[in-house]
Amino acid sequence: MINQISFFKPDSVIQACEILARENNSLPVAGGTDLIVKIRNGMFPQTTAFVDLSSLPLRFIRETDGQIEIGSGCTMTEVIENPLVCKHFPTLTKAASTVGALQIRNLATIGGNSANSSPAGDTIPAMFALEASIKIRSKSGLRTVKIDQFFTGPGKNVLQRGEIIESFLLPKRETRGVFLKLGERKAHAISKINLALATWTESGKAKFRVAMGSVAPTVIRAPEVEKLLESSSQPFSDEVIAEAASLATKAARPISDVRSSQAYRKQMAGVLMKRAMNAF
Amino acid sequence: MNKPELIRISFKLNEKTVEAQVSPEMTVLEMLRRIFRLNAAKEGCGKGECGACTVLLNNQPINSCLKLAASLTCSDAILTVEGLENNALMKHVQQAFVDEGAVQCGFCIPGMALSSYHLLKTCQKPDAHQIKQALSGNICRCTGYMKIEAAVKKAADTRSK
Ligand SMILES: Cc1cc2nc3c(=O)[nH]c(=O)nc-3n(C[C@H](O)[C@H](O)[C@H](O)COP(=O)(O)OP(=O)(O)OC[C@H]3O[C@@H](n4cnc5c(N)ncnc54)[C@H](O)[C@@H]3O)c2cc1C
Ligand code: FES
Ligand code: FES
Repeated sequence: MINQISFFKPDSVIQACEILARENNSLPVAGGTDLIVKIRNGMFPQTTAFVDLSSLPLRFIRETDGQIEIGSGCTMTEVIENPLVCKHFPTLTKAASTVGALQIRNLATIGGNSANSSPAGDTIPAMFALEASIKIRSKSGLRTVKIDQFFTGPGKNVLQRGEIIESFLLPKRETRGVFLKLGERKAHAISKINLALATWTESGKAKFRVAMGSVAPTVIRAPEVEKLLESSSQPFSDEVIAEAASLATKAARPISDVRSSQAYRKQMAGVLMKRAMNAF
Repeated sequence: MNKPELIRISFKLNEKTVEAQVSPEMTVLEMLRRIFRLNAAKEGCGKGECGACTVLLNNQPINSCLKLAASLTCSDAILTVEGLENNALMKHVQQAFVDEGAVQCGFCIPGMALSSYHLLKTCQKPDAHQIKQALSGNICRCTGYMKIEAAVKKAADTRSK
């Protein structure tokens, strides 16, 4: 299948970064749920080394000044079961619980979901809606990138060779929210389109964030919808809900691919928006 | 080309500490079947979709076709159906599958049994929805699932505390 691959089990995050920087064509492996399938499909024939992240201290969820930090190595199950996340970020809890089946969620990591950068990655719209930043580690230090600056295209992001996602930083606030997705079938299908909504109160005012996946080359926010919701009084009238749905449809600029056509995705953006408002 | 590098690993397999030498791209499933000759876990799809390869890693069900064997460490414990041969709860689950006629070709059954075992271990009285959820990562091409769900329900209803 593949020839001449080395396997590294680094002792520290820094050491992992050093190996990744040094070894040409080396790949970090977290849960392996995207990577192993891709390698099976012959996608990385030139790979020379795996750098295993799974035993590194990247599996933590903690509070740091005004923020909640989620280590990239947390599995979906660990995120779902975490009370801090559940209390502050139900949108993320819900998104993570739609990823695959239990056997997948016990392996798949939150860092791998963003690093893989699929436009259909389910935790990504939730991270957008919660205004997350990504802490990126390399042997020479740390940098932090806002989630909306991280993705550059389908499967593409700003990570350079030798850099790994260390954690996600989410502003600590109590939010409410919804995550919805449409797939081929009900159980465990990759999203044809997904939508995350988060809301919280800031200086007495309701804030709304809405993000959609698979309706553009990367996940996008729908600022027009957010503005509408922030300027309308609650509970929302049917007119506001209909307007939000139509703005979501306008914001979507999807591609057609094997999973779905462009027209279908555009229309479904509106349908999901409406469902999100009613679910909320 | 020279021989692929082998990685020496040590971990707990069915409650015994074991060692193995594995190639970098070998999955836990391949290791179980080829090195340890434990053939209960099966390869259905090899890509995380069917659950025939389900094993417990540190008491959690995973798709062993997606986990690299080389990543196992001495704090990891793998449990397969073979390791639960004398386990009362597993025997009870297996008996319920037999009683309900929930087994046809049997290919999916080791995975189904492990997912059911894990559910009953973590939930005293699962309802129909919880049973469906717990088995939703396991595909069966024979039974149509009704009898499997009935078997899990029966196992839950009839177990001695
Ligand atoms: C059957 C099946 C069902 C699935 N269902 C869903 C679903 O419903 N929703 C969904 O969103 N996804 C789904 N996935 C995709 C996958 O499970 C997720 O994207 C998962 O979060 C990937 O995490 P991982 O730890 O397994 O990543 P890996 O496979 O280990 O890595 C993925 C990529 O990211 C890189 N990487 C991993 N960690 C880091 C890091 N910390 N820093 C830098 N790079 C890193 C790797 O080099 C690799 O390129 C599914 C996959 C399968 C096989
Ligand atoms: S063989 Fe692993 S999920 Fe199908
Ligand atoms: S009994 Fe044949 S696949 Fe389930």
